[in-house]
Amino acid sequence: MSGLNGSLSIALSALSVSQQALATTSNNVANANTPGFSRQRPVLAAGDPVVVGSLTFGTGVVLQKIESLRDPILEIQLNQETQQQSKLDTSLGQLRQIQTQFGSASSGIGADISNFFNSLQQLAPDPSNLALRQSVLTAAGNLATDLNNTAHSLQTQRSNLDLNIVQSVGQVNTLTAQIASVDRQISSLENAHQDASSLVDTRTNLIRQLSGLVDVAVIPTDQGISLALSNGTTLVSGSQSFALSAQLGSDGVQHILAGGQDITGSLKGGSLAGLIQIRDQEIPGLASSLDQLAAGLANALNTANKTGFDLNGNAGGNLFAPPPVGGVGAAATLRVSITDPALIAASSDGTTGSNGNLAALSAVHDQAVANGQTPLDFYSNIVFQVGIATSNTSADVDSSNLILQQLQDQRGSLSGVSLDEEAANLIKYQTAYQAAARVVSTVNTLLDVAVNLGK
Amino acid sequence: MRVNPNPMPDLLAALNQAKLESQQASIEIASGRSVNEPSDNPTAAALLVENNDQATFNSGYLQSLNSVQGQFSTADSTLSSVVTALQRAISLGVEGANGTLSDSDRGAVATELQGIQSQLVSLANTSYQGRYVFAGTTTNTPPFVVDNTVASGVRYAGNSGVNQVSIGSGYKLAVNLPGSQLFSAAGNDVFLAINTLIQALQTNTGIDTAVSGVGAASSYLSAQRVFYGNALNQSQSQTTYLNTAKLQISQQENTLGGADLAAAATNVSQAAIDTQATLAAISKLSQNNLFDYLK
Repeated sequence: MSGLNGSLSIALSALSVSQQALATTSNNVANANTPGFSRQRPVLAAGDPVVVGSLTFGTGVVLQKIESLRDPILEIQLNQETQQQSKLDTSLGQLRQIQTQFGSASSGIGADISNFFNSLQQLAPDPSNLALRQSVLTAAGNLATDLNNTAHSLQTQRSNLDLNIVQSVGQVNTLTAQIASVDRQISSLENAHQDASSLVDTRTNLIRQLSGLVDVAVIPTDQGISLALSNGTTLVSGSQSFALSAQLGSDGVQHILAGGQDITGSLKGGSLAGLIQIRDQEIPGLASSLDQLAAGLANALNTANKTGFDLNGNAGGNLFAPPPVGGVGAAATLRVSITDPALIAASSDGTTGSNGNLAALSAVHDQAVANGQTPLDFYSNIVFQVGIATSNTSADVDSSNLILQQLQDQRGSLSGVSLDEEAANLIKYQTAYQAAARVVSTVNTLLDVAVNLGK
Repeated sequence: MRVNPNPMPDLLAALNQAKLESQQASIEIASGRSVNEPSDNPTAAALLVENNDQATFNSGYLQSLNSVQGQFSTADSTLSSVVTALQRAISLGVEGANGTLSDSDRGAVATELQGIQSQLVSLANTSYQGRYVFAGTTTNTPPFVVDNTVASGVRYAGNSGVNQVSIGSGYKLAVNLPGSQLFSAAGNDVFLAINTLIQALQTNTGIDTAVSGVGAASSYLSAQRVFYGNALNQSQSQTTYLNTAKLQISQQENTLGGADLAAAATNVSQAAIDTQATLAAISKLSQNNLFDYLK
């Protein structure tokens, strides 16, 4: 293979490899801003040598492969942190929405409780005054309305979460179907020993999106990959995807089913888990606390009102419509049952000027009405719980964001396209091409000399 | 080691962080509060609920005091007029006891005393904002009714109820003395004493005894009147206390949830500096890469 023809063939291999290397470089430059793209580099090797007698001649350069630079372990970490981060971020958004209901100390349920008991105190110096009695009823009405509104807002938020969950399940199914389809293409390319790196990038990107929704783990198999949730549910196996479904449960909320099995409670990461946690734990917990407060207050005040006499000298009745037995729904349905201010039982002996029973009504302020706590202690504890849940989640989101950012930096340092580097490569391969072309032209001149040798 | 060629997401995160801090500080400055939502400081948010309760009740107590003080003053000045009327009755009695007076002169004195008697009934039926002050808790009807079938000529139609009003946490003040205790207490019945004196003058018998009876009723009433004086004193000192407490409560509120304006303003300018630095970094970054030098 030595000789001028050999040199020509070597130069040709150099021309061809340089062109391919240039193509890789331009592909990198083109995809510098493509999300999830891993930079590629040509792997060059010297051609198999030819031995002639005692001499060994090189045969030029070959392009072994175009390799994508990515770290599978890093991708797994990124997936896991994405799951954690999107669960926390989703929870935080919902918690922030919840806590607006409990935001101000000078308005809202807490202030309503204070104002109601204060209105009772105001009535004490002049118990037969109808204007003062009316302000007691107004304060009681405000308390009931604010409890109603807060309970309704929580309920509305819960219904919206339900819608969100159904939409997220749809997104999961779209993504798993896409992943399965990409996986099929990758398998067929790889079986034909062709390069599938850009499809692998697409798949990695899709899996990252899926990680934003559910706690999916990637398991490499002989036929591509399989995807499973941490509870064992398979979402993608080989080129087949298995859809999740959402179904209205007997408890009135949407449940997530995988092959007939309810997996609602076992999702650990991704925004879906965050949505479910708020819908099934935070909001019901809060709603039940509000019910406890509303029922406790209404029952205690009704009892106290019945021990006295109203302005007409009749025995007192209920101040609030009796809350449902067991208290469920008490906050949403609480209402003042009397409209006539004369019916407030301020008197302890039936005379119009007596304020003796106001003391009994006022005493509810310091009575254990819910969970062994006074109304206001119980309420301020709710405020504390809402606040601490939000601030803890917020801190968790911050740290998760930092970790994610670091992982993305790491990924970028390995897989990201550097334009400086690509520019340098461009010069390198351009020069190599120019040099090889020069060799061709030199060989051509020499061949010309050889051809015209006999003339 | 190869560095991440695309620092843009990090820089954008830094920009976002600076914006967030600036926003937080601006909210604090605008609202004057560092606790704008429970998550800003959960413990303080819970304590602020209790603090608001204290503040509400504190101003409520002050309002109650304002209301009962009016009642106390009315009752006290009424009783003062009653004592003055009784003093006048005593001097009239002493005058009538003078042996030189004719029957018709004594009759005239007795008539004047009858006038005092009706004045006393009217004073005992004093009302404050539509409520009879000395009726116990039957404040909607006049407690003293002229009734000639009883010895004193005046019947008590009220009751012996006493109302209490909270004027501080766990501090209750009785706000009335029933008329039965003031004007028609057994042995010191004001109306009976006057009626007895009138009859003594008309019959010219036992005038001295009757006069000392009125004197005794008058001293008794003066002693009872101390109740309202005390109540006024107590409510005045409690008002002073509550005003001090009001200051403490609002100081506590400020400690719990007030804005640290100096710190917030510093945060705003710090965030502005951070933002500018990051923006400068971004603009420098995107300017240069090797491609610019390849001509």
